[in-house]
Amino acid sequence: MSDPAAIGVLSGHLALLSSISFGGIPSVLPDIRNFVVTAHGWLTDREFANCFAVAQAIPGPNMILMMSYIGWKVAGFPGAIASAFATFGPPCTMYYSGYRLWDRFREARWQRITRAGIAPLTIGLIIAGGTVMARTADANRQSAAVTGAAAGLLLATRVNPLWMIAAAGMLGGLGFL
Amino acid sequence: MPTPRTSTTIAATEIRASLGALFLDYLKVSLLGFGGGIVWAHRITVEQRRWVSEAEFADIISFCQFMPGPNIIGIAVCVGAKLRGLQGAIAAFCGFTILPIAIGFWLGVVYLEHTQIPLLQNILGGVSAAASGLLIATGLRLLMRHRTHPVALLFAALAFAGMVWAKLPLLVVLLGLAPFSIAGAAITGAARR
Repeated sequence: MSDPAAIGVLSGHLALLSSISFGGIPSVLPDIRNFVVTAHGWLTDREFANCFAVAQAIPGPNMILMMSYIGWKVAGFPGAIASAFATFGPPCTMYYSGYRLWDRFREARWQRITRAGIAPLTIGLIIAGGTVMARTADANRQSAAVTGAAAGLLLATRVNPLWMIAAAGMLGGLGFL
Repeated sequence: MPTPRTSTTIAATEIRASLGALFLDYLKVSLLGFGGGIVWAHRITVEQRRWVSEAEFADIISFCQFMPGPNIIGIAVCVGAKLRGLQGAIAAFCGFTILPIAIGFWLGVVYLEHTQIPLLQNILGGVSAAASGLLIATGLRLLMRHRTHPVALLFAALAFAGMVWAKLPLLVVLLGLAPFSIAGAAITGAARR
């Protein structure tokens, strides 16, 4: 089941994406969906949405788990290991080596300007990640309503998001979606 | 490359953290922090252990939010690096990720192996729909901070459109927009806030 060429292509692309995932790994979701679903046909939209859902429902580093599920779908256990490493390896190296530099230039004007310039882009990318996942996951009007309700509740109330995830899973399980 | 000397001088002023304690405490954070580990990382690192100050912790968070990658893991790496250099970063990272990844991976594979069961597929469909909404709302909440800055709103919208409508690769969107967005921030003085 494991295909060395596919492992190389997938983990290479993941390593590139994780290195530029400003705003966190969710910002790469649209790109990774295009790559594994549209370009390579390794997963269907539904399988991709399932990997996302399972990772959200399990405690732990969600996005590393999601990428390891995708790696596992593509190329079995070796694929999962390679994908996980490609997802956390480059950023961890950058966190480690970058922190000292950051500390030294914290008050520098160029650093504040760069931060202020990158911030809006990362926000747009996070919303794009959510929108693409919603389009991938929402099979019908009811599930689109669940997406809207979860977004609205998070913005307007202090309800713990875990309850929303649990309630949505229950609605799905009872066949309402 | 940063000099290792800096870390020892910084660490000398902090309460000395053992590698084992870093590993175990971040293991605890990973087990408690169902999704939102940042709260527990703060509680244990700042309030209980007093390894880093409130301001230092806030600074680490803003750094991690700026850097690419899984932000919460960056916090473990930076706290570990600040206290004990490379070894500390590895200890905190391993404590934080090994168990959740090992358990979460096999648990997830069991789920994903049984998605032909309609009940499970329906549950996952609901979870996925809600989780997408949470992600959108998180982005919108961050956007609120920039609501009085039209240039920032414009670039957030352009990044969104580039991914969702134009379906461009992430690298193209970032390289295409970042220079203009940074120039915009410089001109409008957004960085002074």
